[in-house]
Amino acid sequence: MNPIRQLLCASTLALGVAFTGWSAQAQQQGGTVVITTTPEPSLITNALSSAPTTAEVATKIFDGLLEYDMDLNPKPSLAESWEVSEDGKTVTFKLRPGVKWHDGVSFTSADVQFSLMEVVKSYHPRGKGNLGPVNSISTPDDLTVVMHLDHPYVPLIRGMSSLETPIIPKHIYEGTDFRNNPAVNAPIGTGPYRFVEWEKGSHITLERNPDYWRDGQPYLDQLIFRFIADAATRAAGIESGEIDVATFGTINPVEMRRLEKVDGISIAFGGYEAIAPVMLLELNTARPPFDKKEVRQAVAYALDRQRIIDTVWYGFGKPAVGPISSFVKGAGAWTDEGVRDFTVPDRLEIAGKLLDEAGYPMKDGKRFTFIHDAAAFGEDWRRMGEVIKQQLGKIGIEVELRNRDYPTFVRAVHNEYDFDMTSSWYIGMADPTLGVQRNTWSKMINKDVPFGNSSQYSNPEVDALWEAAQTEADPAKRNDYFHQLQRILVEDSPLIWIMDMDLVAVQRDRVKDLITSPFGVRGGLYDVWVQD
Amino acid sequence: MLFTNAKYVLNRILHGIPIILAIVVVNFFLIRLAPGDAAQVLAGESGAATAEYMDQIRKQFGLDQPLWIQFLNYMKNLLVFDLGYSFRHGRTIASLIIERLGATAILMGASMVLSIGLGVILGAIAAVRDRTFLSHVIVILAIVTYATPLFWVGLMLIIVFALNLGWFPTSGYETIGATLTSFDHMLDVLHHLVLPAISLSFFYMALYTRLMRASMLETLGQDYIKTARAKGLSGSRIVMAHALRNAIIPVLTMAGVQVSAMLGGSVIIESVFGWPGLGLLAYEALFSRDLNLLLGIFFLSSILVVVTNAVVDVIYTLVDPRIRLNGGRHE
Repeated sequence: MNPIRQLLCASTLALGVAFTGWSAQAQQQGGTVVITTTPEPSLITNALSSAPTTAEVATKIFDGLLEYDMDLNPKPSLAESWEVSEDGKTVTFKLRPGVKWHDGVSFTSADVQFSLMEVVKSYHPRGKGNLGPVNSISTPDDLTVVMHLDHPYVPLIRGMSSLETPIIPKHIYEGTDFRNNPAVNAPIGTGPYRFVEWEKGSHITLERNPDYWRDGQPYLDQLIFRFIADAATRAAGIESGEIDVATFGTINPVEMRRLEKVDGISIAFGGYEAIAPVMLLELNTARPPFDKKEVRQAVAYALDRQRIIDTVWYGFGKPAVGPISSFVKGAGAWTDEGVRDFTVPDRLEIAGKLLDEAGYPMKDGKRFTFIHDAAAFGEDWRRMGEVIKQQLGKIGIEVELRNRDYPTFVRAVHNEYDFDMTSSWYIGMADPTLGVQRNTWSKMINKDVPFGNSSQYSNPEVDALWEAAQTEADPAKRNDYFHQLQRILVEDSPLIWIMDMDLVAVQRDRVKDLITSPFGVRGGLYDVWVQD
Repeated sequence: MLFTNAKYVLNRILHGIPIILAIVVVNFFLIRLAPGDAAQVLAGESGAATAEYMDQIRKQFGLDQPLWIQFLNYMKNLLVFDLGYSFRHGRTIASLIIERLGATAILMGASMVLSIGLGVILGAIAAVRDRTFLSHVIVILAIVTYATPLFWVGLMLIIVFALNLGWFPTSGYETIGATLTSFDHMLDVLHHLVLPAISLSFFYMALYTRLMRASMLETLGQDYIKTARAKGLSGSRIVMAHALRNAIIPVLTMAGVQVSAMLGGSVIIESVFGWPGLGLLAYEALFSRDLNLLLGIFFLSSILVVVTNAVVDVIYTLVDPRIRLNGGRHE
């Protein structure tokens, strides 16, 4: 039996077990949940954009072919079953019958073909990654979708969620200019909630889809997304009870720790297993001082990860071992075996020695100076820059801090590559090929496209491993490639991985079953209910 | 007199047109000095993008055209009051601005009434009761509020009146998801308006209080006040009938000038209170490099300032009939 099929069979079994052991409390029908997120999205159809807040709204309106359990095994959604051919080059999905779009039109295989090939593959920034070698999709009948691949592609089955590859209605989009189609901001989907209104600058209202294919779900009558520009006001909103859920990044970590102690408010952990976010520093390997491996390693040794996590992020994360988040442990891609460990007790001495060897000896208590461009994502990132400055000062490296507004930052750092060190975070996704690969694969060095391989790290051995993992069908062999990659990349340290991030949300306790998918609040939220 | 006023206002507005055009031209080139473009911001927000995706966006936004062609297109459209299209929002800029204008107008209107009203009253009291305990309290209060940052005032009001006392909502324009009758809806908006309007008026109230006090003190020292006093008029009548009208003129002048500053202040207040107005829209447009939208808002603001100043001139004549708009004074 084909290993992929084995995996799929096992997952279908696991699914049955998961369903029988579900929720102890009885769900109540009705009620409204108010979610705050920031910034306000520019559009709310995530087939055309992968902006985080676009996805947070759109995943309630659209479905994907598949969903995933907490261990990232696929489970049915718009597709009831799926089968990968012996050679791994044909994947057949059987669709759920009787599904209707919010406007009453029947959902068919033509919608899937259109969404994936015409829209997602060319318009979604991660479409080419998720659909990789899919060269065509045929639709033998209304409920059958057959994908034809150039070569086997294991990540395919991990990227079929409503977050990554949402299915949009062909009858609304066909023959139109997709981005200017009015439906982009008044979407029609098959998902648990229907779009009602969008008051720009204020809120988006969604209502229960009474014809949703999951009988009796969703439980809520309304789901409202509110947009408030000021972080302190958002915190006050959840404290006063006007807001029920605040997504990650809407409330400062220090405020989250305070709110956690308030009666009726808690932190919702989990729900980022499939997103696998990692926070990191990117070093410009194309110019001094970080063109030398020893210097990069020295910095990696000198940084006290746990201290950064505690003082800047208030403990919302744990020290990263390498490029792949330990959250994806279940799939076997993650390892710390044979990976260079920077957290040894004598790390400062090692760092000093490495810098001496690299030709940066200590002179008058100083070795060299460089500029750190803090990511323009907010105050926390600037504060992390200050902590880095202080920590590197201990080994004689002087850090100048530079803070710029978002568009200036993106152009200078991620388009012009004019930087020494910058902070960032990426979503590793359920499969390293989908998320992690992009920062160290030399084909992603492209000044026209921000947030690729901005370190300009180029290593033929690493390229070969990433490329082998793309086409390999055997999960064990792929995991072996990923383990090798982790060892090489950490040894070379073109990036310094700081923290596996806890992408937590803050919630009022009246909201129940908020996190039931590895996408957390970026899932369909059809299990959510409120107890008043 | 009404006719001459209308003619005057029209005249002033016509004179304002070259100014507004100059503002547009300067703005057009000035805001393009900021590095980064809308396509990069969109791609950045996505966290990943391909070169084709970037090209697609730039082409759609017209960012692939030379700057002078972009400028000519913009001016051509402006002549027919077409402010353009925001690709980021997928809407025409005019519709975006009109939708948000109401909220800002309500907020600014309420704040102006509050700040001018309270400022004039407090300033007058401080002047009339000069060198008393009350006047010292008012002066100190004015100095403290004058020096307090807007956002801090907003946050403190939220903590005290929304969180601790629970009298007002923390933010927003209306109760979302509630279906209300139009009267209840109006009350609901007013309920939401209280804290942001007070926050925004704080600074200006302090400004007008100080100005009013100084102006009132000066007026009260004038000969005609002494005459009125010698005539045996009561203190309150002197203040109300003789001094107030004269003393208020500088406050009105200042209020006219401050309209544009208040628009700036509303950016902060709107972001603190999640008030869906123009200030917030401008703020977002800046950080997403949605330059057409930003230009549209600047264009509208410049019109607003020109019109307000003309209107203030008219108000002068109502407050002080001796002032004539064609430049002379009644003798």
